[in-house]
Amino acid sequence: MSQIKDNKMIIAKTLSRAVGTKILLVMTLFIAFGASSNDQERTSRLSDVSVAELDIENYPKRPEPILEWGNDFLNPGNIGEGIEMPGGAVWQPSLLVFGTFRSALQSFDAHGVETNELASRLDLYANLQLTGTERILLGVRPLDKNGQFTGYEFGSHNDDSWQNELNSDITTLFFEGDFGELLPDWDKGDTKGYDIGFAIGRQPLNYQEGMLINDSIDAIGITRNTLLPNGGSDMQITLIYGWNEIHRNDNHEYNDTNLFGLFVSMDRPKTTLNFDLVYIDDKDGDTDGIFWGISDVRRIGHYNLSSRILGSHALEDQSAVALEKVPAVVSDGYLVFAELSWTPAWTDDNVYVNVFVGIDEFSSASRGPANGGALGRTGILFSAIGLGHYGAPISDMAQNAYGLALGYQQFINPIKNQFIYEVGFRKETESIGNSENSKETSIAAAVRYVHALSQRTVFQFDIFKTFNQEMEDAQGIRAELLVQF
Amino acid sequence: MFHGSFRISSTRYLRANMTKLIIKLSLLLLLGSFQFTFAQQQSANDAHLKAFSASQYPSATECAACHPKQYKEWSVSQHSYAQMSPIFNAMQATVGKFTAGTNSDFCIRCHTPVGMNLKEAVFMSNIDRHPTSREGVTCIACHRLSQSYGKISGRLHIEEGDITAAIYGPTGEADELDQELAGKKKDKLGSNEVHGEVKSLFQLSTPGFCGACHDVNLVDGFRLEEAFSEFKNSPANAEGVTCQDCHMGKEPGKILTAKSDPDFHKKNYDFGPAADPKVTGLKLKDRKLTNHMFMGPDYSVLPPSLFPLNPGAIRDEGDEDGDGFATIREWLQFDWKAGWGSDEFEEEVDDNAVFPERWDDTDERTTAREDFIVPNLELLLYAKDEREKLLRNGYILGDINVTSSTTQEISFDVQVKNGTNGHNVPTGFDAERPVWLFIQVIDADGKVIKESGDLDPNGDLRDLHSTYVHNHELPLDDELFSLQSKFITRNIHGGEREQVLPIAYSLSPLVFLRPSVNATNLVGRPGGARKHKQGIEPLGERWANYKVSEEQLAQGRAPFKALIQLKAGMIPVNLLNVIKDIGFDFGLSARDIGDTLAFGHVDDEKNMVIWNDSDKVEDNKVAGHTIIWQKEIAL
Repeated sequence: MSQIKDNKMIIAKTLSRAVGTKILLVMTLFIAFGASSNDQERTSRLSDVSVAELDIENYPKRPEPILEWGNDFLNPGNIGEGIEMPGGAVWQPSLLVFGTFRSALQSFDAHGVETNELASRLDLYANLQLTGTERILLGVRPLDKNGQFTGYEFGSHNDDSWQNELNSDITTLFFEGDFGELLPDWDKGDTKGYDIGFAIGRQPLNYQEGMLINDSIDAIGITRNTLLPNGGSDMQITLIYGWNEIHRNDNHEYNDTNLFGLFVSMDRPKTTLNFDLVYIDDKDGDTDGIFWGISDVRRIGHYNLSSRILGSHALEDQSAVALEKVPAVVSDGYLVFAELSWTPAWTDDNVYVNVFVGIDEFSSASRGPANGGALGRTGILFSAIGLGHYGAPISDMAQNAYGLALGYQQFINPIKNQFIYEVGFRKETESIGNSENSKETSIAAAVRYVHALSQRTVFQFDIFKTFNQEMEDAQGIRAELLVQF
Repeated sequence: MFHGSFRISSTRYLRANMTKLIIKLSLLLLLGSFQFTFAQQQSANDAHLKAFSASQYPSATECAACHPKQYKEWSVSQHSYAQMSPIFNAMQATVGKFTAGTNSDFCIRCHTPVGMNLKEAVFMSNIDRHPTSREGVTCIACHRLSQSYGKISGRLHIEEGDITAAIYGPTGEADELDQELAGKKKDKLGSNEVHGEVKSLFQLSTPGFCGACHDVNLVDGFRLEEAFSEFKNSPANAEGVTCQDCHMGKEPGKILTAKSDPDFHKKNYDFGPAADPKVTGLKLKDRKLTNHMFMGPDYSVLPPSLFPLNPGAIRDEGDEDGDGFATIREWLQFDWKAGWGSDEFEEEVDDNAVFPERWDDTDERTTAREDFIVPNLELLLYAKDEREKLLRNGYILGDINVTSSTTQEISFDVQVKNGTNGHNVPTGFDAERPVWLFIQVIDADGKVIKESGDLDPNGDLRDLHSTYVHNHELPLDDELFSLQSKFITRNIHGGEREQVLPIAYSLSPLVFLRPSVNATNLVGRPGGARKHKQGIEPLGERWANYKVSEEQLAQGRAPFKALIQLKAGMIPVNLLNVIKDIGFDFGLSARDIGDTLAFGHVDDEKNMVIWNDSDKVEDNKVAGHTIIWQKEIAL
């Protein structure tokens, strides 16, 4: 009986793979050649049609925030005079409450575990604007905590159940400003270089497209902006010291850990360069590390190319840590990442080919609990949705692996309807940590449809199928409603 | 007057529903009378609004009576053009549309502070705006600020009050005004009302005052314009030179002596009485007079009837007793390019020629031309000369080195330098500011064998934003030397790409602007969009490299020479293509505006309009790309 069942499963899997392969082939061809237009009336010539009367009736009105106090947020009417503070700054305090609510009905089946759920997430912020440069931002996520989301699970491996993750934890609370603007009396003639930006408090940080740091930590940072180096048009230098809420490469928080970072961004005539360096000091443990990233973003002919290389270096006993944890807290390794894209003629669409090579075991300096692995930028197949248990269709861990994503983002109306079609693969060159698994190879396809339903709401539909060489195949389908306010 | 729109549809209905009908008719009458009352009320409200605005936000035309010099300079400035610009109107509306209305009054707040204070709609025709709203950055936008608000991207509090209320100046020489007004009727000079008190806002003469609008940071942290921040990190700031020294002095874009010179102000600025003594009868002592033309690289694409702002030119719609000569809609019917009102035209025009009703009278056409069109064109010509001075002070075409000259290959390098030490060039709205090198390699017979920096038929450079290049109808200009910065938007995947507008709809079809949830100070930019700056740093230089291949050389006959022009435009034509769907004000089409933008720089074969070049002021070039510098070298 068991043998028959196994045979049936093998047949089903083979059939599934045959059909899947054909779908993948069709999608690959579609993506490679793009949507063709046969519009005979298209022209590159500028229109000579004039509009007799402007259509002001259908122009979108300002969507009212749920709460605003003080000066309205971007609304006509005279601005309040403000209050002159000691030091000479004039404050015009204005409070704005805004945020995003997301709710999804989704099914995710991976690693032999199927999860069906209704999950929700609320990102709620209160922004107290004091001047053009000074503000306090408070943020909470009352419906999720440590990667678990409030909702309802059904027909899954577990019994049907409500998930209650309601909380009042503060996820963001920082003050940012500019010393020159905070105390203008220091320099009434504006001749001194006190224009130094700073921020202090719990704040999201994102460097090297989230591959180096993607976390919300307690930190203080200072920045010099708009520096004008010889041969360059712009440069920014930032120093950051973080002391709390630092999550490591395994998405877990480690106490008694400090983060020191130096971040440099520079516009050159043909390229934008970023040089980032981070040192993590694990005061109690042995997971000190140095992390760095260099990126170059440019256009070459009709193509856009973003390329970056990142490295991580454990300063203490990295091998022991790496063996114990998957992914490692810190380990030696490199990540080479390139994103190539272009816009086909007569369209506004976005075709992309993103490639990565993980050499040894690259680890990020800091990654939040809901931020997955370092490869999220590769494609929709590699990025977690950030809502519920719907994970990345293909592993987003950068260790000992290479892969790519080939995608086509089609704009039917860029501010109304979008499709994304994507195929991708990931191949491991070494088994991870002390895992018994063999080197995995995954190949997958996904489609996403996004539609702006109204001035505040967006509907999103996702579907994917992943074929794994070693593990169970994976599939998922979901529908999400997002509301902005 | 009956504004109801009910219709009585049938007698059958009448018979069957007489009672209901009576009730409805009663309601209709009530509604009609209400609407009548409402219409009257609306009209009264409009009148009150205008009266209120006139009393609370005085027009520049009121200031003009005593300060004609300052008014005339300002009337042709970018400040007075800020709101009238049909490009701005369409651009900010497109941004609003693409951001679901969330950008709201962010852009327009700077461009018409009075209009926003009057709670006018963010998007509407300027024809229907309040006259003071159309004045853009009008006098009171600066001189009715009581405090310095720092880098606040133009969201400034304007002190309300009629013309007799206090006004703010950098020194606040109240005593002098008070003495002069002693014994005179309060707040009156002849028939003119004047401001009663001059208060000091010393920041008016500091760079930080300009920085309140000329460092534009969007609510999500996007650093759209950084002119002030660049200045703060410049050698000019270290020397104590201010924005005002270069942009409100005698020479646009340049100080005429070192800041350390004890006579700096006398040499760098005009001197004279603040108010015209002929008009006011006041004997004010001479003082430093700043130039309110604030010359920049922009030029008007409007007919000269509408810009420069002329106090006698425009009468408001429905204001039959108004002072203006014609309404905007009437002026738009006036074909100034055809020569209406000129002696030549009027002498030769057919007696049976049909004109719009307003312009049917020869005398009216002649007055329109002589009193408004010609003076405005003269002022535009003057502004054009000043604009060219500014650009020549800002950009230097430096050395040209021929690095190789053989029968197989010629290569040469061209140096472009920033002539200022105060900021990058271009600066400000540099992502829509074309400055580039146009080069031609010409053979012994005058045949062009190579070009770079040439324009497509729309008047665009052959870069990625050219629709012809994007659609592969023309090749990309591989050797193009351009200083225009580029808006870069983040793709959902696939890195970043250039876009004409910095709206990252690849990330979501709903771009909803709210304050950044990151400390943008530390991450430098929001997640969706940024600017790749490509301007030259203060006193810096760039080199353009050109190579003429053996194949190209074979197409001509030696000896060869190179024509090299450093050019500047106001905005790239491709911007019009992106914003055209929302519609341009004043009934203009994208091509109307595009042809004016790039005027004179694409010949007939490429469909660009070329105006005549003659000595007559009407025919002279007051708009279009500027050739800042030009050189020729033998190769």
